[in-house]
Amino acid sequence: MSVIETRGLSRTFESRVRPRGFAASLKSLVKPERRVVNAVRGIDLEVERGEVLAFLGPNGAGKSTTIKMLTGILHPSGGTARVLGLDPARDRMKLAMGIGTVFGQKSQLWYHLPASDSFRLLGAVYELDDATLARRTAELVERFALAPYLETPVRKLSLGERVRCEIAASLLHKPEILFLDEPTIGLDVVAKREVRVLLDELRREDGVTIFLTSHDIGDIEKVCKRAVIIHHGTVVVDESMKELKHRALRRKRVGVKWAGPADSSLPGLEPIKRTEDAAKYDVDTTKHRLEDVISALAARGELVDLTVEDEPLEDIIAAIFASRSEEEAHVAAGARL
Amino acid sequence: MRFASTFRFLGRAFAVNVKAVLEYRVNFFLQVFGMMLNNAAFAVFWKVLIDRTGGVGGYGFTDIMFVWAVSSTSFGLAHVVAGNIRSISRMVREGELDVYLLQPRDVWLNVVCSRTVVSAWGDFAYGFIVLALMPGVGLGRWLVFLAIIPAAALVFAAAFSAAETLAFWLGDSQGISGALQEFLLSFSLYPETIFEPGMRWIFYTLVPSAFVAYVPLAAWRSLDWGAVGVVWAAALAWLIITRALFRAGLKRYESGNKMGARI
Repeated sequence: MSVIETRGLSRTFESRVRPRGFAASLKSLVKPERRVVNAVRGIDLEVERGEVLAFLGPNGAGKSTTIKMLTGILHPSGGTARVLGLDPARDRMKLAMGIGTVFGQKSQLWYHLPASDSFRLLGAVYELDDATLARRTAELVERFALAPYLETPVRKLSLGERVRCEIAASLLHKPEILFLDEPTIGLDVVAKREVRVLLDELRREDGVTIFLTSHDIGDIEKVCKRAVIIHHGTVVVDESMKELKHRALRRKRVGVKWAGPADSSLPGLEPIKRTEDAAKYDVDTTKHRLEDVISALAARGELVDLTVEDEPLEDIIAAIFASRSEEEAHVAAGARL
Repeated sequence: MRFASTFRFLGRAFAVNVKAVLEYRVNFFLQVFGMMLNNAAFAVFWKVLIDRTGGVGGYGFTDIMFVWAVSSTSFGLAHVVAGNIRSISRMVREGELDVYLLQPRDVWLNVVCSRTVVSAWGDFAYGFIVLALMPGVGLGRWLVFLAIIPAAALVFAAAFSAAETLAFWLGDSQGISGALQEFLLSFSLYPETIFEPGMRWIFYTLVPSAFVAYVPLAAWRSLDWGAVGVVWAAALAWLIITRALFRAGLKRYESGNKMGARI
């Protein structure tokens, strides 16, 4: 059953064009020139209950705008969205009871007060009676190991501790969907790992649907089961992580080092990096048999080292992100995948 | 049920706000006493002026002091309970309403009640001190004062918010909303009769000083409970207008990506 469903979801923003020069500035006072920016252009998306979805895209692709439309912050300019069967723009209050949100850049905790005070206020916000709030807080304190710093003012917490408190706060009312926008931004390796483990636990044990945006490939690989990549406001990839990784296996990165200078040119395969005694190749295994490539390299000289690696997922996503238009993004996605 | 839940939420929000400002106790008490001292300086000024002139615009010293008491306490109450009434414009411009839109609460109420202004506690207390020091204030007058304060505070909160709400349409409305707020406050601290009759209609409409000063004074002078009702009616009318404006404006909200914390 779909808990999120969008059809042709779009959002435009209008902004004033800043004129150059004094005369143009005066003219714009009377007749301002306006520019329409299509931040999100016709997104169709279905997310099933319990899915863990990575919603990816470069800066300005429309990720945050989409999340804001799905959570009722922004009204769409076109198309429809249903979240938990509700229209987010019209049924914002009802929807808020069923969703939790963690925006890495915006805190819902009181900065000068301990998280426990924010929890008490959020209990009243979400209409939890005192007994339910106490039980729920105790559960989350245990699961997120918050006890040592629950009574410490938020301003004195480390970023990792604060994010754990933020996630716990967003779960007080037992939401069915958790939206996370860059939850691990600025965290160190250990704190990131802890957050990922917690999110994975939420999925497994509570069946919470997780909608995650992140620029951290580690988050995506470790937590998500499906990846949707948007670029220029439109969906360019919608794949299960398994498919994405499997397709990535088609491309291998082969590194070679010879005992001395060697001819690194291979028929139909250009090295991506070369020195006189070493080279690196990106091999598309649908076009070149790996065995043939390795044999050809061995025939060029005495091998002292040979490595074969999967192409990093990050490179595949980066190639899609780097495309300058929607068409290019689709081509990049198709070529890479 | 929803009504009770809203009161519980507002009570918790107020408790959290108070706790947050009391994190810095010295600053709290300095600001509160500073504001009371500031207001007291005006009382001295009015005392000197009225002793020399015998009255201004038909107002004696006790009239002026009552106007100051009711304006100060209601202005203070509005900012103590709903400290963000003069921050809406900035919050709209900088996309800070997201957190409030994500919660199952009325956005306007949630936004304005999520902060308390420290110096306003001094304004709030000032009116009570003035009235307590004023000779001959009987129980009836105290009751009129107490009945008017919440309504006048609502007028301040709603009128200030309405001006700030213009930010949804104008982008940056701090200039115009600041001016409207200054007008409201300034006109509330002087006798109505010193202004031209032709401009007094403004005080009953666009800049509702009449309902935080002149009508309360009429109620207080002659213990007129009908006038108290007028202040309450004006407060409810302003509340309805402000909420309608805010709701309409919210559809134009464009959010933002500024990093933020709740302080």
